[in-house]
Amino acid sequence: MNRRRLLTALAGLGLTGGSLLAVSQGLPGGSDGLSVRVETVDAAGSEAGQLGLPVRGQPVTVVDLFATWCAPCREQMDALGAVHREYGDRAAFVSVTNERVGGTLTRADIREWWQRHDGNWTVGLDPESALMAALGADGLPYLAVVDRSGTVRWEHAGLVDADTLGDRLDRHLEA
Amino acid sequence: MRRRTYLQVAATLGAAGLAGCSASGAGNPDVVLPEPDREFDSSDLPYPAWGERLPDVTLPAPLADREVALRSVDRPQLLTFFYSHCNSVCPVLISALRNVQTHALNEGYGDEVAFHPTTFDPERDDADRLRTYGEEMNVDLAAGNWRFLRPASRGRAEEVVAEQFGVSFERTHPEEMEVYMFAHAALTLLVNADGYVERAYREKQPDPETMIADLETVRNG
Repeated sequence: MNRRRLLTALAGLGLTGGSLLAVSQGLPGGSDGLSVRVETVDAAGSEAGQLGLPVRGQPVTVVDLFATWCAPCREQMDALGAVHREYGDRAAFVSVTNERVGGTLTRADIREWWQRHDGNWTVGLDPESALMAALGADGLPYLAVVDRSGTVRWEHAGLVDADTLGDRLDRHLEA
Repeated sequence: MRRRTYLQVAATLGAAGLAGCSASGAGNPDVVLPEPDREFDSSDLPYPAWGERLPDVTLPAPLADREVALRSVDRPQLLTFFYSHCNSVCPVLISALRNVQTHALNEGYGDEVAFHPTTFDPERDDADRLRTYGEEMNVDLAAGNWRFLRPASRGRAEEVVAEQFGVSFERTHPEEMEVYMFAHAALTLLVNADGYVERAYREKQPDPETMIADLETVRNG
């Protein structure tokens, strides 16, 4: 037992934090620029189809990574809704889940979740976690502000309040 | 060390005799996947790693009302270690496994793989709690390939999860919370039908696509 404990430390299989919403900060945004396509879902404020990220013709795209099982993601929707009301005409908003549709989770479930949490912008699917990988996201919720070239201007793991996100958007919309 | 000895033997015997079963699992006839790129041997690690046999452990599966002898599972299996009150790493681990389960069901190989997420918090993770948690996480509990495993006691959780699987966990008492939580290691294992570890994923967010690809190789191995 002691040997195992010692080896745990040596092998770097460290303990992860016990904090509530903690997700590790992801890697810094890739220098090559984000370029990912997601399937979009028919839901409030969202049409079924395909969408490239960053969204063309928009100065910035707010990317929100969520999952229907993620409790803090539900909480994040309030702040996102408030920011969307204020900035929705100047920035693209896209929420994406990496849950694979199938089994007990359907597109209708995602649509329902979206409606229940007052989502009113594009919601998409990333079943192969390509977007999560591109952003280096290591947990949920995860927010990123991406400019038109695909450069990640800001990203954050864990809950973000509306003021903080609004400040970030102001900064990049003025730049 | 053992591996080097084996390789010396293999070299002496010549490659041809062994090529059939170890073409991709070069160096170990018990596994299909090749040794991961790393600077240490499996025997140096605290957890069962590539090429090593699973601990000989039997654990209750409370939702199935039965026990699972892990070495006797006759198909590839994925194991991970979690507690349901966890809000950070565990749901990500469970979600990754759930994404693999859904891929398996969508692609028609659901009965060729087993999922055995194991709680190290048996005091709170009883059958009802595990069922609710599985439903929240969109796990298909009716598919028959997903069994939550629950050591019968706190002591048994320590014995199995920490000592046999090398996944350390310690209770914490966050100030802002009334309940206890855990600081814990993250480990997900892909085990072949013979009970040997093909891959030990140590990421807090193991990539489901990597697991799906590795699982496919193991299923076809």
